[in-house]
Amino acid sequence: MATPAVESAAPVASGSHPSQKSMTKAERRELQERQRAAKLAQKQQTQPADSAAKAKAKPKPATPKKAAAGAEAAPTSGPDTSRSHAIASADHEADSSKRSLRIFSHFGLPKNGPGAKGDIHPCIIRLALQFSEFKICGANARCIATLTAFKTVIQDYTTPPNNTLSRHLMTHLSPQITHLVSARPMSVTMGNAIRQLKLEISGSDIDLPEQDAKDLLCQQIDDYIRDRIIVADDVIQDFALKKIKDGDVILTFARHVPSSSIVLLHAHSRGKRFSVIIVDSRPLLEGKALLQALTSSSTSWTLSGGALQPPLPPIPCTYALLPALPSLITEATTVILGAHSLHSNGAVFSRAGTALVAMMAKQHSVPVLVCCETYKFSDGVMLDGFGKNELAPSHLFPASTPTPNLEVLNPLYDLTPPAYITAVVTEAGLIPPSSISSVNMALGRSSLPV
Amino acid sequence: MEQPQNLRVVETLAWKLRRRQLVGSRATALETLVVLRQVISKSRFSNIEQLVSIIRGVGRRLVEAQPKEHSVGNTVRKVLHHIREEYHTATGGSTTTTSPGFSISKFVMLGQPRKQTALPKTESKNTIKENDPDDPDAFARSLKPVLMEAIQDVFDELETVYDNVGKNAQNHIHSDEIIMTLGMSKTVESFLISAAHHRNYTVMVLETAPTYGGREMSQALSAAGISTFLVPDSSIYGLMSRVNKVILGTHAILANGGMFAIAGSLLAATAAHVHSTPVVVCAGQFKLTPSWNLYHEYGALDFGDPSQVLGFEEGALVDKVDVVNPFYDYVPPNLVDAYITNDGDHPPTSIYRLIKETYDDEDNEL
Repeated sequence: MATPAVESAAPVASGSHPSQKSMTKAERRELQERQRAAKLAQKQQTQPADSAAKAKAKPKPATPKKAAAGAEAAPTSGPDTSRSHAIASADHEADSSKRSLRIFSHFGLPKNGPGAKGDIHPCIIRLALQFSEFKICGANARCIATLTAFKTVIQDYTTPPNNTLSRHLMTHLSPQITHLVSARPMSVTMGNAIRQLKLEISGSDIDLPEQDAKDLLCQQIDDYIRDRIIVADDVIQDFALKKIKDGDVILTFARHVPSSSIVLLHAHSRGKRFSVIIVDSRPLLEGKALLQALTSSSTSWTLSGGALQPPLPPIPCTYALLPALPSLITEATTVILGAHSLHSNGAVFSRAGTALVAMMAKQHSVPVLVCCETYKFSDGVMLDGFGKNELAPSHLFPASTPTPNLEVLNPLYDLTPPAYITAVVTEAGLIPPSSISSVNMALGRSSLPV
Repeated sequence: MEQPQNLRVVETLAWKLRRRQLVGSRATALETLVVLRQVISKSRFSNIEQLVSIIRGVGRRLVEAQPKEHSVGNTVRKVLHHIREEYHTATGGSTTTTSPGFSISKFVMLGQPRKQTALPKTESKNTIKENDPDDPDAFARSLKPVLMEAIQDVFDELETVYDNVGKNAQNHIHSDEIIMTLGMSKTVESFLISAAHHRNYTVMVLETAPTYGGREMSQALSAAGISTFLVPDSSIYGLMSRVNKVILGTHAILANGGMFAIAGSLLAATAAHVHSTPVVVCAGQFKLTPSWNLYHEYGALDFGDPSQVLGFEEGALVDKVDVVNPFYDYVPPNLVDAYITNDGDHPPTSIYRLIKETYDDEDNEL
């Protein structure tokens, strides 16, 4: 990456330099290198005037490029070559660091220690810390935690004089939201929930006493959590239950509430007998939690409906890491996956690795069910999991110590194209991924202001 | 005389293989070669059949000890091939029944187009006496030096395999490309490093759980000055759209052009296939294996240590679940675009021909 100034510079230092301040670090270094080399050239060459012409005519000594680049400006093989190599190596370094930044610059890396700006509620600060430490993780958990925290914020809020709650509350909430986003990028679920909350705040009655208005908002938040998440999960369980038969081998990836654990445990308690293959992957290794949930089903007699029930037989579980997937997919009869969000083109944005599982399942003609509440639907279209992603902080998930040339990346999500998905299980029924956009319309959200 | 397959050196190597004290295709190939050299130099034989059966016996013993290290069998086959070749040269090709003139049926029957071109010599040198009743060792005495030379050739090939694989690296990797690789493979490492002498590019190394060879690989590559990213296996699909080439190592190349490679390779190759990203495999020719794998579900039917997947720190879980840790993947030939070997680049469709040229058909079963 040579700047014009560098390119035009004669081997012996040229007259015009851009001011030192306006140069980048790499450029300054390059200049330094060049000046050093030029000084050297003047010292060694008896006729510095036509050194440039000589350098061109002289065949370059055959030194391995790597050695020269490693030795930086060591003047072992004549001043001309060492100079050109020094510049080249400086170029390379600047180039490679720039390039790596360019490719991954948009990956949202959570900033360390979000500094609280403005009037942030303590419960929001705590939540932000929990987000950034991945103590609260998963689309549903984050959404519920956010809404619950907002309930506290709303209850602690008093409308300033000469203002109305419906107009002012949102300006109070938005720095809280900004603070949460600075801890971890906002999930689609949180975005949808916050959008709904905004709508309800702006629609609240001006004549209502303040406490009543706040209670009403909290009631509406509770309703949202109940209707769109809790009840939706129950309905999804029942729909998914119909697709699980005795003797099935269910393959699932990582842990997604509600899909994996709840659906499977629900089906198991309804007397379906099937086995489960759990495929897991770093960095989060969420499958272990699912494994824990599935294997810890009760082993004692239970009293239900006035009669003693025998303990359920344990669910046969197989656990493997992602590279073992091609060997295991042949045994599976159904793949059940979860989603972080669904986009109107039918693409599923989910935990990294989901796309691989869906791809292998498609190749082996194993049906892929994606369990997802409709509040995770997004109006946008997504074509590539690379464009919008998030990195897990490497200090939480250490893999290898970074060295000058080594960077450790832990992308958290990937995008599964709709072609790999057989059906999406929502509380509105089982729909093909191509119908996501019509569900958006049916719920009357697509025309809402952001 | 002691049975050659029971020789001390053979036994030692067999047990080393069996206990997995010796792993890795190149290391096992080198050790096998050392043992074969000792066996040949010590054994007594008075005709070619005896020699071949001695080598075969040793080969069978070693392959039975560890059938998954394919390069052991391959090395034995290669040595047998060289022995026959040297023998034919020494006897002036009197034993070859090839007659000049091509016909389809002959071509098919022989299955070895290369031999067709070797015209039988009209005069036999007759310097080697087989089955000489007066001096039973005469045959061995006269043949052994040539055989040692032939084995030295195989040695040299193994010694230089990394250099030769990396020879054309800059033709395959271009400036500013993003390369994806996985696992720890010395061949791939030397290939990438040799390309880095000429090109400035980026490598994404997959961690390759549960062995995490990718971590080692990423350290090696970054130490060589290559801009390296270490990513978890789960992001294969997400990152594939930005990757220009997938470069893999392999454990064994099979006769149909498919290969056994470290678990995770099939995922990467499949994801590359759906993204139309080329998949290039670097391997020495000692990995060419005259066998097939069409029906095995679990790669090469080899399993790693399950505690790497779910360790005993998860004590409560350990006895409730099945933990699977297959060691290899079988990558079918349609997912591989090219094999870069120490002897040129080959498409998977021509692997069968290389195998026919490198080994003799009768040795496929040792």
